Amino acid sequence: MGIAFPIPDNAIILRREAIISGLSALIPPESLITSEDERRAFETDALTSYRRMPLAVVLPTTTEEVAAILAFCNENGVKVVPRGAGTSLAGGAIPQEDAIVLGVGKMNKVLDINFGDRTMRVQSGITNLAISAEVAHKGFFYAPDPSSQLACTIAGNIAMNSGGAHCLRYGVTTNNILGVRMVLIDGTVVDIGSDAMDAQGLDLLGLIIGSEGQLGVVTEAIVRILPMAEGARPVLFGFETSEEAGACVAAIIGAGIIPVAMEFMDKPAIEICEAFAHAGYPLDAGALLIIEVEGSDAEMDAMLKKIVTIAKKHGVKTVKESKSATETAAIWKGRKSAFGATGRIADYICMDGTIPTGQLPYVLRRIDEIVKSYGLRVANVFHAGDGNLHPLILYNCNDPEEANKAEEAGNDILKLCVEVGGCLTGEHGVGIEKRDLMRHQFTDIDLGQQMRVRAVFDPKWLLNPAKVFPLDGRISP
Amino acid sequence: MSAPSLFAEQELIDSVHAALKAATPLSIIGSGTKSQIGRPAQSDKTLSTSALTGITLHEPAEMVIAARSGTPLAEVERRLADKKQMLPFEPMDYRPLLGSAGEPTIGGVVAANLSGPRRIMAGACRDSLIGVRLVNGKGELVKSGGRVMKNVTGLDLVKLVCGSWGTLGVLTEVTFKVLPKPQRSATLVLHGLDDANAIAALSAGLGSPFEVSGAAHLPNGVERVSATLLRLEGFDEQITYRLDALKKQLHRFAAADYVEGARSAALWRSVRDATFLVEPRENAVWRISIAPSKAAKIIAEIKKSLTIRHFYDWGGGLIWLSLPATGDAGAAAIRSALFGTGGYATLVRGPADIRAAIDVFEPLSPALRVLTAGIKQSFDPDGLFNPGRMIAGI
Amino acid sequence: MQTNFTPEALENPAMQASEKILRTCVHCGFCTATCPTYLLLGDELDSPRGRIYLIKDMLENNRPATPQVVKHVDRCLSCLSCMTTCPSGVNYMHLVDHARSHIEKTHRRSFSDRVFRGILAAVLPYPNRFRVALLGAAIAKVFTPVLRHLPGIGARIEAMLSLAPRMIGGRSPLERPQIVSSEGPRRARVALLTGCAQPVLNPGINEATVRLLNRMSVEIVIPKDEGCCGALVHHMGHEAESHSFAKKNIAAWISESEGEGLDAIIITASGCGTTIKDYDFMFRNDPEWAEKAAKVSMLAKDITEFLATHELPATTRATNHTVAYHSACSMQHGQQIRDEPKKLLKSVGFNVKDVPEGHICCGSAGTYNILQPEIAGKLRSRKVANIQKIVPEIIATGNLGCMTQIGKGLSDTNDSTPIVHTVELLDWITGGPTPKAIEKAGLKADIAINTLAAE
Repeated sequence: MGIAFPIPDNAIILRREAIISGLSALIPPESLITSEDERRAFETDALTSYRRMPLAVVLPTTTEEVAAILAFCNENGVKVVPRGAGTSLAGGAIPQEDAIVLGVGKMNKVLDINFGDRTMRVQSGITNLAISAEVAHKGFFYAPDPSSQLACTIAGNIAMNSGGAHCLRYGVTTNNILGVRMVLIDGTVVDIGSDAMDAQGLDLLGLIIGSEGQLGVVTEAIVRILPMAEGARPVLFGFETSEEAGACVAAIIGAGIIPVAMEFMDKPAIEICEAFAHAGYPLDAGALLIIEVEGSDAEMDAMLKKIVTIAKKHGVKTVKESKSATETAAIWKGRKSAFGATGRIADYICMDGTIPTGQLPYVLRRIDEIVKSYGLRVANVFHAGDGNLHPLILYNCNDPEEANKAEEAGNDILKLCVEVGGCLTGEHGVGIEKRDLMRHQFTDIDLGQQMRVRAVFDPKWLLNPAKVFPLDGRISP
Repeated sequence: MSAPSLFAEQELIDSVHAALKAATPLSIIGSGTKSQIGRPAQSDKTLSTSALTGITLHEPAEMVIAARSGTPLAEVERRLADKKQMLPFEPMDYRPLLGSAGEPTIGGVVAANLSGPRRIMAGACRDSLIGVRLVNGKGELVKSGGRVMKNVTGLDLVKLVCGSWGTLGVLTEVTFKVLPKPQRSATLVLHGLDDANAIAALSAGLGSPFEVSGAAHLPNGVERVSATLLRLEGFDEQITYRLDALKKQLHRFAAADYVEGARSAALWRSVRDATFLVEPRENAVWRISIAPSKAAKIIAEIKKSLTIRHFYDWGGGLIWLSLPATGDAGAAAIRSALFGTGGYATLVRGPADIRAAIDVFEPLSPALRVLTAGIKQSFDPDGLFNPGRMIAGI
Repeated sequence: MQTNFTPEALENPAMQASEKILRTCVHCGFCTATCPTYLLLGDELDSPRGRIYLIKDMLENNRPATPQVVKHVDRCLSCLSCMTTCPSGVNYMHLVDHARSHIEKTHRRSFSDRVFRGILAAVLPYPNRFRVALLGAAIAKVFTPVLRHLPGIGARIEAMLSLAPRMIGGRSPLERPQIVSSEGPRRARVALLTGCAQPVLNPGINEATVRLLNRMSVEIVIPKDEGCCGALVHHMGHEAESHSFAKKNIAAWISESEGEGLDAIIITASGCGTTIKDYDFMFRNDPEWAEKAAKVSMLAKDITEFLATHELPATTRATNHTVAYHSACSMQHGQQIRDEPKKLLKSVGFNVKDVPEGHICCGSAGTYNILQPEIAGKLRSRKVANIQKIVPEIIATGNLGCMTQIGKGLSDTNDSTPIVHTVELLDWITGGPTPKAIEKAGLKADIAINTLAAE
């Protein structure tokens, strides 16, 4: 496997005992994990082909503990890899041998809910779905819905600026967070933003969201909650070809209709997801669109009528509306479990490039050619409305040669995304996975500016340092 | 898609290099319609983006538009309107309030992170901006983001630059995601509510499933009888249904009627541009951002020591406030009322001497000030661009 | 996930099975979110994904279990919520069973732990010994304030005593092997697992089952030599013992099945159901038992599963009581039975409500509430608070362990809502006597008008 890690700092590794003893003075014993067996469980995230055993793992319970830990690490030159639920597909939470892992899993409380202002203050280790669950009884929800929303934390969402199936309508994480409490590497606690809409000064919040744990450790967040629509109805549209489905998406948007979600699956993905969720996906279709509309029944009927008319012009073969909450749940369960369900048939790596939607047919064809040229298979699941692709390259991870091929195919696909005017990652983040491809999207000047900003927050490059920026040519102030 | 105007961009880079060499700070402007906002310029030379014009990309089916920074906002809006699209964030026009002339540029919209009543639903400029090209203080051309609406590759400098009032770099091109223009728009009007009840009604509306896209309150004194406004936008059938449903839901606050078409549009233009507070021209105008539930209390607190006229937007989350431009133009009293509430106050109109003497933007905590200074340094190490415009000394 | 077993290791069928399970896991982390211990402790090591990782390393290297591995595997409730959540179809149950058996073979527990587990394993599966033990417990309850301070095991003893009833009733006639003929022409013939702890603690459940089935013209046989299903010792990793329990049952049922025939083996404790349905896996490599075990697993049915495919007797009472249905983990996750019990209860008139956060375990989990009293206690409080949110008049469930556990939580909060087995409610409304707990709570269901008219 081709991605290099920095050479561990032996001086730090040799001081492991002292570092652990220093940490043990800052947090209770159940928050400090040091045995080899137990540390190993934190050696990777959802990108399991890369693994590094951390020096230790800390699971603090308060902002004050986080501050004490970071100040200690800063003084002692110890690297820190922040971790939410460890669901990153980009290796965003993979440790290093000379780093500690700082997990926020124990900080999972709701601190305050204000329905009038439609805001909620939470600790950052709470899961995305738990936020919505907390306010569902009053008809509210937290909008960004990454597929891993059941498990992923708001801390991780903030780190990666996570999106989801419904961001076409509701935006991504950065559009739904009003403020954070963050601990800087020197232990300073800063409040950025608040429960008001516009923060003062530079938009530091916008900078922090999506910074992949390199600027600080977020311990609390103020999120926006939104009223749920009166109803929601996903509709399955089966097409013979991906081209037809792609053209249909463009036509819907062109007609001025923005459904809350437009999801695409190709034939392999349909089969995989149907086998798990029994959602009634059309198994005879070559491509499937899940289009969801919201509103009152009459409003949804009216909107769907327009959409169905367009779909018919584009050769839709089957149209199936969800008839009940149970069916709706099954339809989304199938889509949101697509990656995991793929695990039933093969190992996979999941790409996350975004392309201009006009390029869909061309890019899908090229992806197929690329993956075939490596003798592998691919299943495609993606957010069609915004061009965020998730090709799943299937392979056998116990076969090193095949694993390398899968990685190379993935790189080729991402380069293709950039070539057609898109980007390397739409919502999963760069992590280690796309780090070495950054120069395909950015010039050294672009990266230099980003790194100089990064270094303002963490001059010694202690926070999640193996990620995002190519290892050579790093800049400090 | 035509390539960015490289010639003009190169000229701009050359100008920055020249300024670097001569160590001459620059005032960065588009057409200067908002140059009276912020602390007064501390530079002798001006660098304008006005030569960088033209729409470089518009793909209606992909809902994306890009333009060089000096392109008039009006041109961008016209081009979108031709395809029944719009900038979702409804950028305000500061000319009425500031009495300035000229054509606001799209770059200026970004530099000021403008927004309007639709902020509560569709966000501000920052939420629609997906890509920028800019020249930093080292004379380097930096790009961030791109032309696709979902993009988390690298640090999000797009957001950082948006609303930085030209202090970090000179924008050369900006790219937005856009939305279809709603087919129909209508406004529900409730009369006679006091501030607290009005905000409660607006919160109830915004907490309803009807996608309220504007929520303002014009108290007695701004209107003859106070008016509480809720805007609905969407398909024809949708609006008919929602007007009725929302009216019923808000009946416990007051009976409501509604306006549509040009009247509704004019109403929201006034809210957007704060035209209610244009007169008296010599008054100072503040813009306060706060959680809606705290807004009425803040106003009551401020009224204890100052004579003001005010109105609310964003469901109470934005307060526009006018008062005599004497002394510190109310800065101390307003900021003390806001202390500990999480709210922020910006003096958007005031005489230059007051703007030089007080914090025009909400002062930063020491930790945030250190970070802000560091970021400024990372973009503009020699302090070339708009020095001190946002914060004294940065 | 990548695995690293030697070819020799994979010759062992247990290793082979576990390797296959580990290969299916993609380490996505979804399981962490629905794991009760992860919710409470926020430490990935106390989540399925963390345990899978610990187990993987232990098995790959064929290492003795370390105290750390034992700690985290011991904390697993085996509620199998993770299996419902897992999109990749990882069979966590078989993996953790393998790990438990590996732990028992390779790890020497502390003296007090060994003694304590030894006593549980020697008493609970045997109704007679259990009855005697409970008499002792009733006396020992008095000494709880002293006993709870015993080093090492004080908390466990306290937990155990607090769960033991103050009084135990007499022997149920159903504890003896027998055949109960059906009313009217026989429509089906089933074996009833009488179980081990259940008939001692609550004989009413099986009595209600027999009455109800009888009215449905089902003949019930309680075969000789039937006993504990083996789940209790199975979850302690005592493989040999659990297999020996299982074999006894398999032999008893197969003999009935090959004799007068069996349409089903009815189980009224869902914990036992999960294990019996897994007999086929337990004996898959045993040429002598594989086929018979598979047959038994196929015949095994939870009582609600069986009732859902047969017509219930007509109702004789009218009810619209609000029932909180608590789905036992072994029911919803272990056996994936979700809707049947609720549908049955609704069909006789109850106003059935789901418990919020219903997928999370109550902390009972076999002997877990005795072995891990602290975590079990927190889960119990959480469960009871969730049940109380819907303000039910009755709580119904399909597993005695949950009834005991939740019952304790209710009494701790001075909540007198009765908790009963689903089948007791069904029996009551279709002609059976009022269940004891319902009677005690003073709840009544009027005789149905049509029944009165018929009389």
